[in-house]
Amino acid sequence: MTVKDLKGFFLQPERPRVRVFAQMHDHAMFLAGVPARTFYWDARTFVDTIAEVAAYYDMDNLMAVADAYNFEIEGMGAKMIYSDNAMPTIDFRAPLVKEPEDLRRLKTPDFYRDGRLPYALDCIKFGTEYGVYLSRFCSPFSMAVGMRSYPLLIRDMRRQPEFAHELFTFIVDEVLVPYLKEHKAYCGITVTRGVDAWACVPNLSVKDMKEWVVPYNQRLMAKGEELGMAVSSNSGDYNEERPEKFDAGILHGSFDVEIASQQSPMLFMGMGRWEEYPLEPVREYSARYRKQGIRIPVTVGLNARLLRDGPVERIVSTAKRFIDTFARDHELSIFLANIPMDTPPAHVHAAVAAIHTYGRKPIAADLDKIKFRMPERESFQEWRKGAH
Amino acid sequence: MEGNDNLAVALTQKALAAGARPASLISDALVPGIQEAGELWNKNVYFWPDVVMSTEAFRAAMAVIEPHLASGQIGTAGKVLIGTVAGDMHNLGKKLVIDMLRCANFNVTDLGEDVPATTFIDKVKESQPDILGLGCYMTTTMPEMRNIIAELKHSGLGSNVKVIIGGVPISQEFADEIGADAWGKDAFDAVEKARRLVT
Repeated sequence: MTVKDLKGFFLQPERPRVRVFAQMHDHAMFLAGVPARTFYWDARTFVDTIAEVAAYYDMDNLMAVADAYNFEIEGMGAKMIYSDNAMPTIDFRAPLVKEPEDLRRLKTPDFYRDGRLPYALDCIKFGTEYGVYLSRFCSPFSMAVGMRSYPLLIRDMRRQPEFAHELFTFIVDEVLVPYLKEHKAYCGITVTRGVDAWACVPNLSVKDMKEWVVPYNQRLMAKGEELGMAVSSNSGDYNEERPEKFDAGILHGSFDVEIASQQSPMLFMGMGRWEEYPLEPVREYSARYRKQGIRIPVTVGLNARLLRDGPVERIVSTAKRFIDTFARDHELSIFLANIPMDTPPAHVHAAVAAIHTYGRKPIAADLDKIKFRMPERESFQEWRKGAH
Repeated sequence: MEGNDNLAVALTQKALAAGARPASLISDALVPGIQEAGELWNKNVYFWPDVVMSTEAFRAAMAVIEPHLASGQIGTAGKVLIGTVAGDMHNLGKKLVIDMLRCANFNVTDLGEDVPATTFIDKVKESQPDILGLGCYMTTTMPEMRNIIAELKHSGLGSNVKVIIGGVPISQEFADEIGADAWGKDAFDAVEKARRLVT
């Protein structure tokens, strides 16, 4: 497969099946044997490597997203830790905004000069060559955590709310609006989505999210509209670690937060333990859309730990359960939720094959009648030799 | 139960001035407070912000009480060394675990973040803890845990110290795979597992 073919792979017409895509930067880096100091600095290497690995796994869409929680904060001068083996990370021991006065000294970064912001913009631009016309940014709440650290931000919200509002306003008006402007100017992007893993249950209650997350997401959405951009945020994910604490009421509240943070209704079940949570409460929530004849888009995540730990049978049965529950009357996509670095490729192949086998449209009435065959695949290195 | 550290400090100072025994303040006020926070967490009444604020109040009150305690009055449940593995800077979860362990009367030494494997090994040799706690947040730093446990065994220290691991990408399967003695799925769970490991 030439680079041109590789690009064509992601530009081909949508096939009649449930779509699968993955966040897998660390896994792709590891599988392709690219040093971290190249992968997270050289946009061309990053995007082409992610595309190769995604094509190897037969993903339907490319998600060329690197360390999206870092760029804006790094560009403003945050202390970072760089490593030979891992993605860059913010040094939370030395937050960018230690004291309120620190915020007042911060300025809008130069997106073509500061930190790895030029790399971030190039990643978006090069992604368009593969048909990715959706950019990512760090949503206001997660950016505030990265700038201030979680405990200090929580203390601000409880004890000095005026300062917390000042911080969120700065993030939206002085960082994100100018940054999204460059997504459009430099990359030709008009649809963008914020990553917001910190704004989830149980990191915040639904009440906290409605008070602190939604208003600033909506402020950004409104300002995005003025730029001619459709802005959404993936805020409100339900990510309760203990399945025994699963609570349908809280889940529904988190969906309210998600929907209030997006341009059009969509349910995103990203990082939670959906292989263990009940799915019926999701259908209860989406019933309001089905009653109106709307096939609401649902993106449900195959959990990172399940992908890594397996076994294959459980990965396959989980994908099948998602399809059986949602694919007939929702627009279902399945998200491989941040594939861990050393995940066995056979687990990823199993997930993709199961999604494509059970998710063939129209969805069969009885998925048990469909025979699933585990694909026998060559290693990535062998595939790569044959592909080029 | 408001997670108000200023109030916790003021009330602690007032109680000490009124002649309250420092150890009683811990066992009769601080520990029940944190236990209640844990119960509210389990009931989905408390979320992480409430837990963080509660532990901060606990920490602030403990700082007032500790100078009044004789040595040996706290930390008798067991000795714990804890740190985030090399390459990883995340410390929120670790801090919560430390607070919860201290509240459960463990003697905890925090080795910090980005701790090299050699430091973990040297410190285990030096201070001979009952438990070694290892945290990581990124899948790229998980292999460090495997290296540390292998080195503990190689150094002949493996039978003397129990290893508990935690962090976002960690699972029971991974703990089993690398030979850890327990996985703490969150701060409250980590304390429960630590208690079991020392009894």
